[in-house]
Amino acid sequence: MATVLIENLTKVYPPTLNNPTQVQALGGLSMSITGNVFVAVVGPSGSGKTTLLNIVAGVERATAGSVRALQEGVPARVGYVFQEPRLLPWRTVVDNMLYVQDRKSDRSRREAEFYLQMVGLSDVADLYPSQLSGGMQQRVGIARAFLVNPDVLLLDEPFSHLDALTGRSLRDYMQRIWLQTRKTALFVTHDVTEAVELADRIVMLRPGGTAYDDIAVDLPRPRRHDDPAVRDMQDEVLRRFDAMGAAVRFGAHA
Amino acid sequence: MSDMRAREDLAGLRSLGARSGPKAPPTMRGFLQRPWFIGLLALGLLLLVWQWISWVNLQVPGVGEIARFMFTEISGGSHGGALSGEFWAPLAVSLQRYAVGLAIGVPVGAVLGMVIGGVRWARGLFNDTVLVLLALPAVVWAFLASLWFGLSSWGPILAVVLTVVPFMAVNISAGVRNVDPGLAEMSRSFGVPFGRRLHHLLFGGSLPSAFTGLRLSFMTGWNSLLIVEWFGSTSGVGWRARFWYDALRYPGFVGWIFLFVILITLLDRLLLSPLERRAFQWNQRPTLAFAEEA
Repeated sequence: MATVLIENLTKVYPPTLNNPTQVQALGGLSMSITGNVFVAVVGPSGSGKTTLLNIVAGVERATAGSVRALQEGVPARVGYVFQEPRLLPWRTVVDNMLYVQDRKSDRSRREAEFYLQMVGLSDVADLYPSQLSGGMQQRVGIARAFLVNPDVLLLDEPFSHLDALTGRSLRDYMQRIWLQTRKTALFVTHDVTEAVELADRIVMLRPGGTAYDDIAVDLPRPRRHDDPAVRDMQDEVLRRFDAMGAAVRFGAHA
Repeated sequence: MSDMRAREDLAGLRSLGARSGPKAPPTMRGFLQRPWFIGLLALGLLLLVWQWISWVNLQVPGVGEIARFMFTEISGGSHGGALSGEFWAPLAVSLQRYAVGLAIGVPVGAVLGMVIGGVRWARGLFNDTVLVLLALPAVVWAFLASLWFGLSSWGPILAVVLTVVPFMAVNISAGVRNVDPGLAEMSRSFGVPFGRRLHHLLFGGSLPSAFTGLRLSFMTGWNSLLIVEWFGSTSGVGWRARFWYDALRYPGFVGWIFLFVILITLLDRLLLSPLERRAFQWNQRPTLAFAEEA
Protein backbone atom coordinates (compact mmCIF):
# COMPACT_ATOMS: atom_id res chain seq x y z
CA MET A 1 0.00 0.00 0.00
CA ALA A 2 1.46 3.34 -1.05
CA THR A 3 1.66 6.35 1.20
CA VAL A 4 2.50 9.95 0.35
CA LEU A 5 3.37 12.09 3.36
CA ILE A 6 3.77 15.80 2.78
CA GLU A 7 4.90 17.80 5.81
CA ASN A 8 5.22 21.55 5.99
CA LEU A 9 6.32 21.68 2.35
CA THR A 10 7.70 25.02 1.23
CA LYS A 11 9.09 26.01 -2.14
CA VAL A 12 10.43 29.46 -2.86
CA TYR A 13 11.83 30.28 -6.29
CA PRO A 14 14.73 32.74 -6.14
CA PRO A 15 14.64 35.96 -8.20
CA THR A 16 15.54 35.62 -11.88
CA LEU A 17 16.34 38.07 -14.65
CA ASN A 18 12.73 37.94 -15.85
CA ASN A 19 11.23 38.04 -12.38
CA PRO A 20 13.32 40.10 -9.96
CA THR A 21 11.30 39.15 -6.86
CA GLN A 22 11.28 35.72 -5.26
CA VAL A 23 8.11 33.66 -5.68
CA GLN A 24 6.63 31.43 -3.04
CA ALA A 25 4.94 28.48 -4.77
CA LEU A 26 4.25 26.41 -1.66
CA GLY A 27 3.97 27.87 1.81
CA GLY A 28 4.09 25.04 4.34
CA LEU A 29 1.67 22.52 2.83
CA SER A 30 0.90 19.42 4.84
CA MET A 31 -1.26 16.51 3.70
CA SER A 32 -1.13 12.75 3.54
CA ILE A 33 -2.47 10.14 1.17
CA THR A 34 -2.76 6.54 2.21
CA GLY A 35 -3.95 3.60 0.19
CA ASN A 36 -5.38 3.22 -3.27
CA VAL A 37 -7.21 6.49 -3.49
CA PHE A 38 -7.53 9.11 -6.20
CA VAL A 39 -6.80 12.53 -4.71
CA ALA A 40 -7.34 15.74 -6.68
CA VAL A 41 -5.49 18.89 -5.75
CA VAL A 42 -7.43 21.90 -6.98
CA GLY A 43 -6.40 25.51 -6.83
CA PRO A 44 -5.93 28.68 -8.83
CA SER A 45 -2.80 29.51 -10.83
CA GLY A 46 0.09 30.20 -8.50
CA SER A 47 -1.06 27.86 -5.77
CA GLY A 48 1.90 25.54 -6.38
CA LYS A 49 0.06 22.54 -7.84
CA THR A 50 2.63 21.58 -10.46
CA THR A 51 5.49 22.37 -8.07
CA LEU A 52 3.95 19.93 -5.59
CA LEU A 53 3.91 17.12 -8.19
CA ASN A 54 7.46 17.91 -9.36
CA ILE A 55 8.74 17.66 -5.79
CA VAL A 56 6.89 14.36 -5.22
CA ALA A 57 8.41 13.06 -8.52
CA GLY A 58 11.90 14.17 -7.45
CA VAL A 59 12.25 16.56 -10.37
CA GLU A 60 12.46 19.60 -8.07
CA ARG A 61 13.78 20.08 -4.54
CA ALA A 62 11.80 21.60 -1.70
CA THR A 63 13.07 24.73 0.02
CA ALA A 64 11.85 23.37 3.37
CA GLY A 65 9.67 20.56 4.66
CA SER A 66 9.57 17.02 3.36
CA VAL A 67 7.82 14.67 0.96
CA ARG A 68 7.95 10.93 1.37
CA ALA A 69 6.36 8.65 -1.21
CA LEU A 70 6.67 5.12 0.09
CA GLN A 71 5.50 1.66 -0.88
CA GLU A 72 5.75 -0.79 2.00
CA GLY A 73 8.47 1.36 3.57
CA VAL A 74 10.67 1.71 0.46
CA PRO A 75 10.65 4.63 -2.00
CA ALA A 76 7.61 4.34 -4.25
CA ARG A 77 7.87 4.01 -8.01
CA VAL A 78 6.30 7.03 -9.67
CA GLY A 79 4.41 7.30 -12.97
CA TYR A 80 3.92 10.84 -14.24
CA VAL A 81 1.40 12.15 -16.78
CA PHE A 82 2.31 15.70 -17.78
CA GLN A 83 0.25 18.56 -19.16
CA GLU A 84 1.82 17.91 -22.56
CA PRO A 85 2.55 14.36 -23.78
CA ARG A 86 6.35 14.79 -23.54
CA LEU A 87 7.15 12.03 -26.01
CA LEU A 88 10.51 11.74 -27.77
CA PRO A 89 9.57 12.82 -31.32
CA TRP A 90 12.36 10.71 -32.86
CA ARG A 91 11.21 7.45 -31.28
CA THR A 92 8.17 5.39 -32.17
CA VAL A 93 5.25 5.14 -29.77
CA VAL A 94 6.32 1.75 -28.45
CA ASP A 95 9.95 2.86 -28.08
CA ASN A 96 8.76 5.89 -26.14
CA MET A 97 7.04 3.54 -23.74
CA LEU A 98 9.97 1.14 -23.44
CA TYR A 99 12.25 4.14 -22.81
CA VAL A 100 10.85 4.54 -19.30
CA GLN A 101 10.60 0.84 -18.54
CA ASP A 102 13.23 -1.14 -16.67
CA ARG A 103 13.52 -4.09 -19.00
CA LYS A 104 13.52 -4.41 -22.74
CA SER A 105 12.20 -7.69 -24.00
CA ASP A 106 9.34 -9.18 -25.95
CA ARG A 107 7.40 -9.24 -22.71
CA SER A 108 7.98 -5.52 -22.22
CA ARG A 109 6.73 -4.82 -25.71
CA ARG A 110 3.64 -6.94 -25.09
CA GLU A 111 3.00 -5.02 -21.87
CA ALA A 112 3.40 -1.72 -23.72
CA GLU A 113 0.94 -2.88 -26.36
CA PHE A 114 -1.45 -4.00 -23.63
CA TYR A 115 -1.55 -0.51 -22.09
CA LEU A 116 -1.81 1.10 -25.51
CA GLN A 117 -4.81 -1.10 -26.13
CA MET A 118 -6.31 0.03 -22.82
CA VAL A 119 -6.25 3.62 -24.04
CA GLY A 120 -7.71 2.59 -27.40
CA LEU A 121 -4.47 2.80 -29.39
CA SER A 122 -3.73 -0.74 -30.50
CA ASP A 123 -2.72 0.21 -34.06
CA VAL A 124 -0.16 2.93 -33.42
CA ALA A 125 2.75 1.18 -31.67
CA ASP A 126 5.15 1.62 -34.58
CA LEU A 127 4.13 5.13 -35.57
CA TYR A 128 5.97 8.30 -34.59
CA PRO A 129 4.33 10.87 -32.28
CA SER A 130 4.14 13.41 -35.12
CA GLN A 131 1.78 11.05 -36.89
CA LEU A 132 -0.74 11.16 -34.04
CA SER A 133 -3.25 13.79 -32.98
CA GLY A 134 -2.73 15.69 -29.71
CA GLY A 135 -5.33 13.58 -27.92
CA MET A 136 -3.72 10.34 -29.11
CA GLN A 137 -0.31 11.53 -27.95
CA GLN A 138 -1.71 12.31 -24.54
CA ARG A 139 -3.22 8.82 -24.38
CA VAL A 140 0.26 7.42 -25.08
CA GLY A 141 1.46 9.53 -22.14
CA ILE A 142 -1.19 7.96 -19.93
CA ALA A 143 -0.34 4.43 -21.12
CA ARG A 144 3.36 5.12 -20.49
CA ALA A 145 2.68 6.14 -16.89
CA PHE A 146 0.75 2.92 -16.23
CA LEU A 147 3.37 0.76 -17.98
CA VAL A 148 5.97 1.33 -15.25
CA ASN A 149 3.51 -0.21 -12.79
CA PRO A 150 3.70 2.85 -10.55
CA ASP A 151 3.01 2.79 -6.84
CA VAL A 152 2.04 6.44 -7.08
CA LEU A 153 0.50 7.99 -10.18
CA LEU A 154 1.03 11.73 -10.66
CA LEU A 155 -1.21 13.62 -13.08
CA ASP A 156 -0.50 17.25 -13.88
CA GLU A 157 -3.55 18.72 -15.62
CA PRO A 158 -3.31 16.09 -18.37
CA PHE A 159 -6.55 17.16 -20.05
CA SER A 160 -6.07 20.92 -19.94
CA HIS A 161 -4.51 21.27 -23.40
CA LEU A 162 -7.20 19.27 -25.15
CA ASP A 163 -10.53 20.32 -26.60
CA ALA A 164 -13.60 19.60 -24.44
CA LEU A 165 -14.69 16.43 -26.29
CA THR A 166 -11.22 14.88 -26.38
CA GLY A 167 -10.68 15.79 -22.75
CA ARG A 168 -13.90 14.09 -21.74
CA SER A 169 -12.98 11.00 -23.75
CA LEU A 170 -9.59 10.83 -22.03
CA ARG A 171 -11.18 11.20 -18.60
CA ASP A 172 -13.31 8.17 -19.47
CA TYR A 173 -10.16 6.21 -20.34
CA MET A 174 -8.44 7.39 -17.19
CA GLN A 175 -11.36 6.39 -14.99
CA ARG A 176 -11.63 2.97 -16.61
CA ILE A 177 -7.91 2.18 -16.25
CA TRP A 178 -7.80 3.49 -12.73
CA LEU A 179 -10.74 1.28 -11.73
CA GLN A 180 -8.79 -1.72 -13.06
CA THR A 181 -5.46 -0.82 -11.49
CA ARG A 182 -6.44 1.22 -8.38
CA LYS A 183 -3.16 3.08 -8.13
CA THR A 184 -2.61 5.76 -5.52
CA ALA A 185 -3.14 8.87 -7.61
CA LEU A 186 -2.35 12.52 -7.05
CA PHE A 187 -4.15 14.58 -9.67
CA VAL A 188 -3.57 18.29 -10.08
CA THR A 189 -6.19 20.35 -11.88
CA HIS A 190 -7.86 23.73 -11.94
CA ASP A 191 -11.06 22.19 -13.30
CA VAL A 192 -13.63 21.24 -10.69
CA THR A 193 -15.56 19.07 -13.19
CA GLU A 194 -12.54 16.84 -13.73
CA ALA A 195 -11.80 16.68 -10.03
CA VAL A 196 -15.31 15.56 -9.10
CA GLU A 197 -15.49 13.06 -11.95
CA LEU A 198 -12.25 11.32 -11.02
CA ALA A 199 -11.35 11.88 -7.37
CA ASP A 200 -12.23 10.28 -4.05
CA ARG A 201 -10.98 13.35 -2.30
CA ILE A 202 -10.40 16.96 -3.29
CA VAL A 203 -7.76 19.07 -1.55
CA MET A 204 -8.25 22.77 -2.20
CA LEU A 205 -5.17 24.99 -2.25
CA ARG A 206 -5.21 28.74 -1.84
CA PRO A 207 -2.77 31.07 -3.64
CA GLY A 208 0.60 30.86 -1.95
CA GLY A 209 0.42 27.10 -1.67
CA THR A 210 -1.36 26.22 1.56
CA ALA A 211 -4.30 23.84 2.03
CA TYR A 212 -7.70 25.44 2.50
CA ASP A 213 -10.15 22.56 2.49
CA ASP A 214 -10.28 18.78 2.13
CA ILE A 215 -13.50 17.41 0.63
CA ALA A 216 -14.48 13.74 0.40
CA VAL A 217 -16.20 12.79 -2.87
CA ASP A 218 -18.30 9.83 -1.92
CA LEU A 219 -19.95 9.00 -5.23
CA PRO A 220 -20.30 5.61 -6.93
CA ARG A 221 -18.03 4.75 -9.90
CA PRO A 222 -17.88 4.84 -12.82
CA ARG A 223 -19.05 8.44 -12.82
CA ARG A 224 -20.46 10.37 -15.72
CA HIS A 225 -20.10 14.09 -16.17
CA ASP A 226 -23.85 14.52 -16.68
CA ASP A 227 -24.86 12.51 -13.61
CA PRO A 228 -26.99 14.79 -11.36
CA ALA A 229 -25.07 13.65 -8.26
CA VAL A 230 -21.78 14.62 -9.95
CA ARG A 231 -23.21 18.00 -10.90
CA ASP A 232 -24.46 18.59 -7.35
CA MET A 233 -21.01 17.78 -6.02
CA GLN A 234 -19.42 20.19 -8.48
CA ASP A 235 -21.78 22.92 -7.25
CA GLU A 236 -20.85 22.12 -3.68
CA VAL A 237 -17.10 22.35 -4.43
CA LEU A 238 -17.60 25.62 -6.29
CA ARG A 239 -19.57 27.03 -3.33
CA ARG A 240 -16.64 26.24 -1.09
CA PHE A 241 -14.31 27.99 -3.50
CA ASP A 242 -16.55 31.04 -3.40
CA ALA A 243 -16.35 30.89 0.34
CA MET A 244 -12.58 30.75 0.15
CA GLY A 245 -12.73 33.97 -1.83
CA ALA A 246 -10.16 32.77 -4.30
CA ALA A 247 -8.74 35.42 -6.58
CA VAL A 248 -9.50 33.23 -9.54
CA ARG A 249 -13.03 31.87 -9.98
CA PHE A 250 -13.46 28.39 -11.41
CA GLY A 251 -16.10 27.46 -13.96
CA ALA A 252 -17.45 23.96 -14.32
CA HIS A 253 -18.08 22.93 -17.88
CA ALA A 254 -20.08 20.03 -19.18
CA MET B 1 -17.90 5.87 -26.39
CA SER B 2 -14.16 5.82 -25.86
CA ASP B 3 -13.52 3.01 -28.34
CA MET B 4 -15.69 4.82 -30.81
CA ARG B 5 -13.68 7.97 -30.26
CA ALA B 6 -10.44 6.07 -30.86
CA ARG B 7 -11.80 4.64 -34.08
CA GLU B 8 -12.92 8.11 -35.12
CA ASP B 9 -9.44 9.43 -34.44
CA LEU B 10 -7.89 6.78 -36.62
CA ALA B 11 -10.53 7.08 -39.28
CA GLY B 12 -10.09 10.85 -39.25
CA LEU B 13 -6.39 10.59 -39.88
CA ARG B 14 -6.84 8.04 -42.61
CA SER B 15 -9.52 10.07 -44.35
CA LEU B 16 -7.31 13.16 -44.20
CA GLY B 17 -4.61 11.13 -45.87
CA ALA B 18 -7.03 9.72 -48.39
CA ARG B 19 -7.98 13.22 -49.39
CA SER B 20 -4.58 13.57 -51.02
CA GLY B 21 -5.94 11.00 -53.50
CA PRO B 22 -4.10 9.10 -56.22
CA LYS B 23 -1.07 10.77 -57.76
CA ALA B 24 -1.93 13.16 -60.59
CA PRO B 25 -0.36 12.42 -64.00
CA PRO B 26 2.95 14.28 -64.43
CA THR B 27 2.66 17.64 -66.17
CA MET B 28 5.38 19.52 -68.09
CA ARG B 29 5.59 22.05 -65.26
CA GLY B 30 5.96 19.26 -62.66
CA PHE B 31 8.67 17.66 -64.79
CA LEU B 32 10.58 20.95 -65.02
CA GLN B 33 10.45 21.33 -61.24
CA ARG B 34 12.02 17.94 -60.46
CA PRO B 35 15.25 18.28 -58.45
CA TRP B 36 17.35 16.16 -60.79
CA PHE B 37 16.23 18.17 -63.81
CA ILE B 38 17.00 21.47 -62.02
CA GLY B 39 20.41 20.05 -61.02
CA LEU B 40 21.18 19.09 -64.64
CA LEU B 41 20.04 22.50 -65.84
CA ALA B 42 22.31 24.25 -63.31
CA LEU B 43 25.27 22.09 -64.39
CA GLY B 44 24.58 22.81 -68.06
CA LEU B 45 24.42 26.55 -67.38
CA LEU B 46 27.68 26.41 -65.40
CA LEU B 47 29.46 24.65 -68.27
CA LEU B 48 28.06 27.15 -70.76
CA VAL B 49 29.28 30.10 -68.68
CA TRP B 50 32.66 28.41 -68.28
CA GLN B 51 32.94 27.86 -72.01
CA TRP B 52 32.01 31.49 -72.66
CA ILE B 53 34.71 32.68 -70.23
CA SER B 54 37.28 30.48 -72.00
CA TRP B 55 36.34 32.16 -75.32
CA VAL B 56 36.89 35.69 -73.96
CA ASN B 57 39.97 34.80 -71.87
CA LEU B 58 42.43 32.50 -73.57
CA GLN B 59 44.18 31.69 -70.27
CA VAL B 60 41.09 29.75 -69.18
CA PRO B 61 40.87 26.27 -70.72
CA GLY B 62 37.62 25.31 -72.44
CA VAL B 63 35.29 22.54 -71.28
CA GLY B 64 36.31 20.21 -74.12
CA GLU B 65 40.00 20.77 -73.47
CA ILE B 66 39.58 19.94 -69.77
CA ALA B 67 37.54 16.85 -70.59
CA ARG B 68 40.18 15.56 -73.05
CA PHE B 69 42.97 16.19 -70.54
CA MET B 70 41.14 14.42 -67.71
CA PHE B 71 40.29 11.48 -69.96
CA THR B 72 44.03 11.05 -70.63
CA GLU B 73 44.74 11.47 -66.90
CA ILE B 74 42.16 8.86 -65.91
CA SER B 75 43.03 6.38 -68.65
CA GLY B 76 46.78 6.68 -67.96
CA GLY B 77 47.58 7.91 -71.47
CA SER B 78 50.41 10.22 -72.49
CA HIS B 79 50.23 13.98 -71.86
CA GLY B 80 53.21 14.47 -74.13
CA GLY B 81 56.89 13.98 -73.41
CA ALA B 82 57.59 11.89 -70.31
CA LEU B 83 54.36 12.91 -68.62
CA SER B 84 51.64 10.30 -68.41
CA GLY B 85 48.21 10.22 -66.79
CA GLU B 86 47.93 9.35 -63.13
CA PHE B 87 44.55 9.30 -61.47
CA TRP B 88 43.68 6.28 -59.31
CA ALA B 89 46.85 6.29 -57.18
CA PRO B 90 46.54 9.94 -55.98
CA LEU B 91 42.80 9.51 -55.51
CA ALA B 92 43.25 6.33 -53.40
CA VAL B 93 45.91 7.99 -51.23
CA SER B 94 43.70 11.04 -50.59
CA LEU B 95 40.58 9.01 -49.89
CA GLN B 96 42.50 6.86 -47.44
CA ARG B 97 43.80 9.93 -45.57
CA TYR B 98 40.34 11.48 -45.65
CA ALA B 99 38.71 8.31 -44.27
CA VAL B 100 41.26 7.96 -41.46
CA GLY B 101 40.90 11.67 -40.57
CA LEU B 102 37.11 11.42 -40.46
CA ALA B 103 37.20 8.14 -38.52
CA ILE B 104 39.23 9.89 -35.81
CA GLY B 105 37.76 13.40 -35.96
CA VAL B 106 34.03 12.64 -36.15
CA PRO B 107 33.77 10.49 -32.98
CA VAL B 108 36.19 12.73 -31.04
CA GLY B 109 34.19 15.82 -32.04
CA ALA B 110 30.90 14.08 -31.27
CA VAL B 111 31.98 13.04 -27.77
CA LEU B 112 33.46 16.48 -27.11
CA GLY B 113 30.20 18.10 -28.28
CA MET B 114 28.13 15.84 -26.01
CA VAL B 115 30.34 16.73 -23.04
CA ILE B 116 30.34 20.47 -23.78
CA GLY B 117 26.57 20.43 -24.33
CA GLY B 118 25.71 18.29 -21.35
CA VAL B 119 28.19 19.23 -18.62
CA ARG B 120 28.30 22.84 -17.47
CA TRP B 121 31.91 22.92 -16.21
CA ALA B 122 33.12 21.24 -19.41
CA ARG B 123 31.42 24.00 -21.40
CA GLY B 124 33.51 26.59 -19.59
CA LEU B 125 36.64 24.53 -20.07
CA PHE B 126 36.39 23.58 -23.75
CA ASN B 127 34.00 26.01 -25.40
CA ASP B 128 36.51 28.77 -26.13
CA THR B 129 39.16 26.28 -27.27
CA VAL B 130 36.73 24.77 -29.77
CA LEU B 131 35.72 28.20 -31.04
CA VAL B 132 39.39 29.10 -31.58
CA LEU B 133 39.90 25.86 -33.51
CA LEU B 134 36.82 26.69 -35.57
CA ALA B 135 38.07 30.18 -36.37
CA LEU B 136 41.48 29.04 -37.64
CA PRO B 137 41.58 28.74 -41.43
CA ALA B 138 42.49 25.41 -42.98
CA VAL B 139 45.65 26.82 -44.49
CA VAL B 140 47.07 27.36 -40.97
CA TRP B 141 46.62 23.66 -40.28
CA ALA B 142 48.24 22.93 -43.61
CA PHE B 143 51.41 24.76 -42.68
CA LEU B 144 51.48 23.48 -39.09
CA ALA B 145 50.89 19.89 -40.16
CA SER B 146 53.66 20.16 -42.77
CA LEU B 147 56.03 21.55 -40.14
CA TRP B 148 55.20 18.83 -37.63
CA PHE B 149 55.01 15.79 -39.88
CA GLY B 150 56.99 16.74 -42.97
CA LEU B 151 55.76 15.02 -46.12
CA SER B 152 54.25 11.96 -44.44
CA SER B 153 50.55 11.06 -44.53
CA TRP B 154 50.05 12.14 -40.91
CA GLY B 155 50.09 15.84 -41.85
CA PRO B 156 47.00 15.65 -44.09
CA ILE B 157 45.29 13.27 -41.64
CA LEU B 158 45.89 15.61 -38.71
CA ALA B 159 44.58 18.54 -40.74
CA VAL B 160 41.34 16.64 -41.41
CA VAL B 161 41.02 15.71 -37.72
CA LEU B 162 41.65 19.26 -36.49
CA THR B 163 39.16 20.68 -38.97
CA VAL B 164 36.45 18.14 -38.29
CA VAL B 165 36.57 18.10 -34.46
CA PRO B 166 35.39 21.69 -33.84
CA PHE B 167 32.63 21.48 -36.47
CA MET B 168 31.23 18.32 -34.89
CA ALA B 169 31.70 19.59 -31.33
CA VAL B 170 30.03 22.96 -31.88
CA ASN B 171 27.03 21.51 -33.70
CA ILE B 172 26.46 18.58 -31.36
CA SER B 173 26.83 20.70 -28.23
CA ALA B 174 24.23 23.11 -29.65
CA GLY B 175 21.97 20.12 -30.38
CA VAL B 176 22.33 18.76 -26.84
CA ARG B 177 21.62 22.16 -25.32
CA ASN B 178 18.50 22.49 -27.47
CA VAL B 179 16.95 19.22 -26.29
CA ASP B 180 13.56 20.05 -24.79
CA PRO B 181 14.05 20.44 -20.99
CA GLY B 182 10.58 18.98 -20.56
CA LEU B 183 11.85 15.68 -21.97
CA ALA B 184 14.80 15.73 -19.57
CA GLU B 185 12.36 16.36 -16.71
CA MET B 186 10.17 13.49 -17.87
CA SER B 187 13.21 11.19 -17.99
CA ARG B 188 14.24 12.15 -14.46
CA SER B 189 10.74 11.67 -13.08
CA PHE B 190 10.62 8.12 -14.47
CA GLY B 191 14.16 7.42 -13.23
CA VAL B 192 15.47 6.57 -16.71
CA PRO B 193 19.12 5.41 -16.36
CA PHE B 194 21.91 7.69 -17.61
CA GLY B 195 23.02 5.38 -20.43
CA ARG B 196 19.53 5.19 -21.88
CA ARG B 197 19.09 8.96 -21.56
CA LEU B 198 22.39 9.49 -23.35
CA HIS B 199 21.38 7.19 -26.19
CA HIS B 200 17.72 8.00 -26.70
CA LEU B 201 17.36 11.55 -25.38
CA LEU B 202 20.67 13.35 -25.95
CA PHE B 203 21.91 11.47 -28.99
CA GLY B 204 18.45 11.32 -30.56
CA GLY B 205 17.76 14.97 -29.79
CA SER B 206 21.06 16.22 -31.17
CA LEU B 207 20.87 14.18 -34.37
CA PRO B 208 19.66 17.06 -36.59
CA SER B 209 22.60 19.21 -35.44
CA ALA B 210 24.93 16.22 -35.76
CA PHE B 211 24.00 15.91 -39.43
CA THR B 212 24.69 19.60 -39.97
CA GLY B 213 28.06 19.11 -38.28
CA LEU B 214 28.75 15.99 -40.33
CA ARG B 215 27.96 17.71 -43.60
CA LEU B 216 30.18 20.69 -42.76
CA SER B 217 32.91 18.34 -41.52
CA PHE B 218 32.87 16.35 -44.76
CA MET B 219 33.26 19.51 -46.81
CA THR B 220 35.79 21.39 -44.72
CA GLY B 221 37.77 18.21 -43.98
CA TRP B 222 38.13 17.56 -47.71
CA ASN B 223 39.21 21.16 -48.29
CA SER B 224 41.82 20.96 -45.52
CA LEU B 225 43.16 17.71 -46.89
CA LEU B 226 43.63 19.17 -50.34
CA ILE B 227 45.32 22.30 -49.03
CA VAL B 228 47.79 20.28 -46.94
CA GLU B 229 48.49 18.00 -49.90
CA TRP B 230 48.98 21.07 -52.10
CA PHE B 231 51.55 22.62 -49.81
CA GLY B 232 53.13 19.74 -47.97
CA SER B 233 52.80 16.38 -49.71
CA THR B 234 54.25 14.41 -52.59
CA SER B 235 51.14 12.36 -53.17
CA GLY B 236 47.37 12.71 -53.27
CA VAL B 237 44.80 14.68 -55.15
CA GLY B 238 45.97 18.10 -53.88
CA TRP B 239 49.54 17.31 -54.85
CA ARG B 240 48.43 16.26 -58.35
CA ALA B 241 46.46 19.49 -58.86
CA ARG B 242 49.51 21.50 -57.82
CA PHE B 243 51.73 19.40 -60.09
CA TRP B 244 49.75 20.51 -63.15
CA TYR B 245 49.54 24.07 -61.83
CA ASP B 246 53.34 24.25 -61.50
CA ALA B 247 53.70 22.68 -64.96
CA LEU B 248 51.44 25.45 -66.33
CA ARG B 249 49.03 22.82 -67.64
CA TYR B 250 45.81 24.56 -66.66
CA PRO B 251 43.39 21.98 -68.08
CA GLY B 252 44.90 19.50 -65.59
CA PHE B 253 44.73 21.92 -62.68
CA VAL B 254 41.13 22.95 -63.42
CA GLY B 255 40.13 19.34 -64.16
CA TRP B 256 41.30 18.20 -60.72
CA ILE B 257 39.49 21.14 -59.08
CA PHE B 258 36.31 19.98 -60.82
CA LEU B 259 36.96 16.48 -59.53
CA PHE B 260 37.20 17.77 -55.95
CA VAL B 261 33.76 19.27 -56.32
CA ILE B 262 32.29 16.21 -58.02
CA LEU B 263 33.66 13.89 -55.33
CA ILE B 264 32.30 15.90 -52.42
CA THR B 265 28.92 16.24 -54.16
CA LEU B 266 28.76 12.50 -54.77
CA LEU B 267 29.67 11.82 -51.16
CA ASP B 268 26.89 14.08 -50.00
CA ARG B 269 24.28 12.65 -52.37
CA LEU B 270 25.20 8.97 -52.11
CA LEU B 271 26.13 8.69 -48.44
CA LEU B 272 24.90 11.58 -46.29
CA SER B 273 21.54 12.24 -47.89
CA PRO B 274 20.28 8.62 -47.66
CA LEU B 275 21.58 8.40 -44.09
CA GLU B 276 19.84 11.64 -43.24
CA ARG B 277 16.55 10.51 -44.78
CA ARG B 278 16.73 7.33 -42.74
CA ALA B 279 17.59 9.16 -39.50
CA PHE B 280 14.73 11.63 -39.93
CA GLN B 281 11.94 9.21 -40.66
CA TRP B 282 10.24 10.52 -37.55
CA ASN B 283 10.05 14.04 -38.88
CA GLN B 284 7.49 13.24 -41.52
CA ARG B 285 4.33 15.12 -42.16
CA PRO B 286 1.41 13.84 -40.10
CA THR B 287 -1.64 12.13 -41.54
CA LEU B 288 -0.31 11.63 -45.07
CA ALA B 289 2.49 9.39 -43.91
CA PHE B 290 0.02 7.71 -41.59
CA ALA B 291 -2.28 6.92 -44.49
CA GLU B 292 0.60 5.53 -46.51
CA GLU B 293 1.49 3.12 -43.73
CA ALA B 294 -2.10 2.07 -43.11
